[in-house]
Amino acid sequence: MNVVLVKELGFAYGLQAALQNVNLEVPEGLIYGLIGPDSAGKTTLIRAICTLLPYKQGMIEVLGRDALKNSAAIRAQIGYMPQRFSLYKDLSVEQNLEFFGRLFGVNSQTRGQNMEKLYRFSHLKPFAKRLAGNLSGGMQQKLALSCALIHTPSLIVLDEPTFGVDPVSRMEFWSILHSLKQEGISILVSTPYMDEAEQCDLISLIDKGQIIGQGSPADILAAWSGWLYRLKSSDLQNLYRFLKAQSCLDDLQLFGGEIHLGSDSQLSDSLFINWQRQCPCLEGWEQIQPSMEDAFLKMMK
Amino acid sequence: MTSLKVLASFVLKEFRQLARSPEMLAVLFLLPAIQLLVMGFAVTNEVKNVDISFFDYDKSHLSKSLIESFSSTDRFRIVPVSEAEHPEELLFKWKSKVVVVIPAGFERDCHGFAKPVLQVISDGIDGNSAALANAYVQGCILRFSQVMLQSRDPGLMKKDQGLDLIVRMSFNNDLKSNLNIIPGIIAVLVTVSSMVLSAISLAKEKELGTLEQLLVSPMHKYQLVAGKLLPYLIITLLQMQVAVLLAGIIFRISLAGSYPVLMLFSLIYLFTTLGLGIFISTRVNSQQQAMFFSWFMMVVMILLSGFFVPVQNMPKVIRGICFFNPLTHYMTVIREIVVKGSNLAQLRKELLILLSGGFIVFGFSLLSFRKRVK
Repeated sequence: MNVVLVKELGFAYGLQAALQNVNLEVPEGLIYGLIGPDSAGKTTLIRAICTLLPYKQGMIEVLGRDALKNSAAIRAQIGYMPQRFSLYKDLSVEQNLEFFGRLFGVNSQTRGQNMEKLYRFSHLKPFAKRLAGNLSGGMQQKLALSCALIHTPSLIVLDEPTFGVDPVSRMEFWSILHSLKQEGISILVSTPYMDEAEQCDLISLIDKGQIIGQGSPADILAAWSGWLYRLKSSDLQNLYRFLKAQSCLDDLQLFGGEIHLGSDSQLSDSLFINWQRQCPCLEGWEQIQPSMEDAFLKMMK
Repeated sequence: MTSLKVLASFVLKEFRQLARSPEMLAVLFLLPAIQLLVMGFAVTNEVKNVDISFFDYDKSHLSKSLIESFSSTDRFRIVPVSEAEHPEELLFKWKSKVVVVIPAGFERDCHGFAKPVLQVISDGIDGNSAALANAYVQGCILRFSQVMLQSRDPGLMKKDQGLDLIVRMSFNNDLKSNLNIIPGIIAVLVTVSSMVLSAISLAKEKELGTLEQLLVSPMHKYQLVAGKLLPYLIITLLQMQVAVLLAGIIFRISLAGSYPVLMLFSLIYLFTTLGLGIFISTRVNSQQQAMFFSWFMMVVMILLSGFFVPVQNMPKVIRGICFFNPLTHYMTVIREIVVKGSNLAQLRKELLILLSGGFIVFGFSLLSFRKRVK
């Protein structure tokens, strides 16, 4: 069964198209990732799924109900963690949890039990009386997640939950998501970080309001055809200009300290040596396996 | 039952957040007190210590005693003038607000040779106080002429020259402006706090990003709005108690009318201001914008309410606009109740207007609010 089903969804802010012909199937009990750069349309899509967007084109079903007609029923059953985790910074950890629990109509006994359980995985119990605004970024993020879970939803929707959080807290957050998955909760999560794609069971790559690739991370990497080379240089700009001038090369990407060169056929060492003679700043080359980022950049084309 | 609980939890949360910022609490309760005190003393229509100068070209016994009669009251402060100065110049240089010119031959005229003439020139920039000052000057001269009539010198002023003028100010015999100003300040206070607080309310949640989380909750939009506004309704009514209490203690203004009637009108009026506030709040994106729009509206509302300038003094078109200003009617009501002690039956027109205004504004704000993002 699909917890979320999106068919041919289109949406525009005025004349600016935000989503075009989006199709999505999120199966039950998995971690599903929406991966794409800023302003790709992730937040718009997530808001539409959370029944917050009055869309006119296409259809969305969440937990088997229509998102436009049955919004009240859907809202009661999903947990939503909006972008830039929203908490009441002037309320304590405990008061935040209590407030969202009451808001979703959780009675006080169940609320107490749920809070204990959420404290166990978030390790926030020692900070129960602390103001949310005084927590570290990672702890605020865990509190926001706890608030989205207080009414034991069967589906949680997280919009860029790891944005602006340190790498250690990000790792911890993902391991929490994995244990939630073990408990049978379906998770739909968006992220601009390509390396987090590997944490998901299924992903959709989204760019400029369109889905450009779907499947498991392994499938997407396996679909990468051809060879990929990593080129090193102390003068990357110069090398990049030189390679751009070579007519046979079209798949060139500048990464942090290296250039990735994609090719449909295997490139011989003699070709590289020949280049090195013309452009001495080319210092080394090796064939590598494509990462999610390579795959994404290739699909963007 | 559950819906009430959800509402209660919301109200609790709002109060917890308020209690968390002592500055806000201070603003809510200390500021009204300070405002009432400062404005109560400062904003006054009474005219005191008017700078007055006399150009005495007569230099007679009579003209000197006329000038003297002005020095016996605190309404006037006599500014000495030199011969070289000119009346218009004195006004222009703001040395004097009123100039009285006593022409040569004034005393002689008073003995019946001709009709005595005095020239009074006032600085008319502040129209209200100028008119009042003029009235005081006239009063003084009138009194002086009456004294002259009864004086020992029978040749002075013939009987038919005398004037008889009866001046009486209903409800405010001493022309005490406090009685008019203080209820006005209370009306303004109620408007300002309720509108600013409610305009900020949802805008703050928007700015924090918490609104989205509230929107996905199963709580109904009516609960959301009620949960937001109820605390502000309570706080504004509390503020009003403080203001009424202070008005009684410091300015000795006791309520002439019924207290429950005053509260009933305030409650009805608050539906309009809270409705306007929440309307602004649903349409702006930040607290800053909310503040801007609510202040803009409030300044217009206050200026057109009859707080400073009586509505009946305004041109007809503006009077028409004032009719649609809820504060105009609330201002009338609060003054009528505090000063005159009017009862509900006497205020039924205002009751009807405020009720329908509140119903329309609040209803429209509520209906146009959607549990969706833009």
